[in-house]
Amino acid sequence: MTSVGTGYDLSNSVFSPDGRNFQVEYASKAVENGGTSIGLKTKNGIVFAVEKIITSKLLVPGKNNRIQTIGRSIGAVYSGLLPDGRHLVSRGRDEFNSYRSQYKEDITVPYLIDRLGNYVQAYTCYNSVRPFGITSIIGGIDEDGTHLYMLEPSGSYWGYKGAATGKGRQSAKNELEKLNLDELSTRDAVKEAARIIYQAHEDNKDKDFEIEISWISKEETKGLHQFVPEDLLNEAKQYAEDKLNEDEDEDEEDEDENMEE
Amino acid sequence: MEHDPFRWGRPSDQAYGEYNNSIAHAGQQQSFPKMNTQQPIVTGTSVIAIKFKDGIVIAADNLGSYGSLARFTDVERLFPVGDHAVVGISGDISDLQYVSRLLEDLEIENNYDYDGHSLRAPHIHEYLQKVFYHRRSKMDPLWNSTIVGGLDDSGKPFLKYVDLLGVQYSAPTLATGFGAYLALPILRKVVFEEKDVEKIDEETARNAIKECMKVLFYRDARSLDKYSLITITKKNGVVFEKGLKSEEQSWRFAKDIKGYGTQKV
Amino acid sequence: MAVKFKDGVVLGADSRTTTGSYIANRVTDKLTQVYDKIWCCRSGSAADTQAVADIVKYHLELYTAQHGKPPSAKVAASIFQELTYTNKDALSAGLIVAGFDEKTNGEVFSIPLGGSVHKQPFAIAGSGSAYIYGWTEKNFKENMNKEEVVSFVKTALAQAIKWDGSSGGVIRQVILTKEGIERLVFYPDEYEDA
Repeated sequence: MTSVGTGYDLSNSVFSPDGRNFQVEYASKAVENGGTSIGLKTKNGIVFAVEKIITSKLLVPGKNNRIQTIGRSIGAVYSGLLPDGRHLVSRGRDEFNSYRSQYKEDITVPYLIDRLGNYVQAYTCYNSVRPFGITSIIGGIDEDGTHLYMLEPSGSYWGYKGAATGKGRQSAKNELEKLNLDELSTRDAVKEAARIIYQAHEDNKDKDFEIEISWISKEETKGLHQFVPEDLLNEAKQYAEDKLNEDEDEDEEDEDENMEE
Repeated sequence: MEHDPFRWGRPSDQAYGEYNNSIAHAGQQQSFPKMNTQQPIVTGTSVIAIKFKDGIVIAADNLGSYGSLARFTDVERLFPVGDHAVVGISGDISDLQYVSRLLEDLEIENNYDYDGHSLRAPHIHEYLQKVFYHRRSKMDPLWNSTIVGGLDDSGKPFLKYVDLLGVQYSAPTLATGFGAYLALPILRKVVFEEKDVEKIDEETARNAIKECMKVLFYRDARSLDKYSLITITKKNGVVFEKGLKSEEQSWRFAKDIKGYGTQKV
Repeated sequence: MAVKFKDGVVLGADSRTTTGSYIANRVTDKLTQVYDKIWCCRSGSAADTQAVADIVKYHLELYTAQHGKPPSAKVAASIFQELTYTNKDALSAGLIVAGFDEKTNGEVFSIPLGGSVHKQPFAIAGSGSAYIYGWTEKNFKENMNKEEVVSFVKTALAQAIKWDGSSGGVIRQVILTKEGIERLVFYPDEYEDA
């Protein structure tokens, strides 16, 4: 980076002469190296999945979650710095609860994401703080239906049908685009999510990983955000592995053909 | 000459008389203590409950009384919490609605962690007891008597009472308000002590509760014959029945009652 | 009182304000707008209910600015409820909140003294209401048309005025529907035989 060392990257609240906030861009770097997170919005549900890189064999499986519940039927998954995600979710829960005490009903997802967006944005404006080192995918069901958003370190957020972030986001996005999300059942979306995470991990194969999947659906979870049950998780993993092997076999066949030529 | 520096520049006592402190500090003087204790306005009457070998049955009618006026006839006073517990609330309805929101918040918070642990009746009771005692200690009580029912950690039936004073107790049969006088004696005929619980099945427990709701309607002037009933068992979880009517009421004998003693016609 | 009907909701009230047995205002407007199509009926202390309505009006304006959409009647009722519940020691306010939006086709909430909320198909409150519990319960029908509901409210309030010394004056009504907001006034010679 040409601008490194010019001094404009040392603080928030200072623009570089060409109008960039380097601290925010560096925060995005923290995200780009994190495990892949994806979110899918189906006709009447939401699915979150994340590739959790195992940094030590001593870590207990199933702990240190990267998917969390913000409130009842709203969930979040994030790539980047784990503690920053914890803090954002904690803020989300505060927003959720204070809205409930004020209006006696649950916050809508678009309003929650707007509040969180403003919160994250504020961390790009002061030189006493650093921006959030996470991109989070936040979604849920409310009175107006299903919603899925992705929130970046800059504080900007967009609504998605399918969202991906983290190291494997490019291949994940390609796969998400191929899905017919308007027709897919939430149960099938769980399996596709597993497949996409497994595929995204292919480029990062030297590291072990664990997959986490959660869902929200009126039919499957009574509208609550929950991790998928053990048997469905295993089914999804199996599906993902099978699909991956199929693709590899095809590739090998192609290679064989090439050799014959 | 005034030698006390504190008095310099102030009106002299000789000329104006002694300084009247009570006038100078009139604004800061509190003539009333802070009032916090209220009185119930819209109220719900008894909640009654009984244990049986596989779980509990609890019931409460749907009336919201405004003094003696039967003002609201569709008030729900039973609140399922989690998958194995229910809270039945009598007393002030505005406080009831507040408590029900507390319970919802508790449930939301409990679902943050997906660790296989679920809120069960003993946890909810302990929480409520703390809330009620805290509020009465602030001289601002929540004007309710409540019964928490469900299953405990080992899957055994659980029933416990807590009220506006923070008083708590457990028994195989419980009732709040008028029910303590009218329903408890009937329920105790079915289950007298803890060891009797084992002998009672769901059918017997339900019938006892239904019979008590009928007696309460006969004899409690702030009651209704429309009520809700919840059964909790390990097998079926929380089964919520709403809008039940007290059936097979006995009134026909009234035709044989003439006068108030000796009159025959 | 406020009543749900086929096309929305109707609010109705008499126009008497008293200090003891002196009529301080004989043409009061007790039907108060807190948002475009969310209104309330005020009973109890005039000062308290006016103050509460003004605060709710502020909150609903703020809600619109923050959310970019109008509040529901339920949200309005919740704000009323929070205010009357947390200040129950200081207030004497019996309120009915009624609102129309196309999602619900109209909702009525009763918020009596202690600060509880009760969603109802129709609600009555205030000193005169005691005299019309029987009549309204018997004569209320779901999904009345506009003509029927106006007559229902008029007759009910006429009876309340007749028997309650603290009620009187004219009958005011506000009709909230998809079409808009309509105000009606009925004078004693018009409602006395209704």
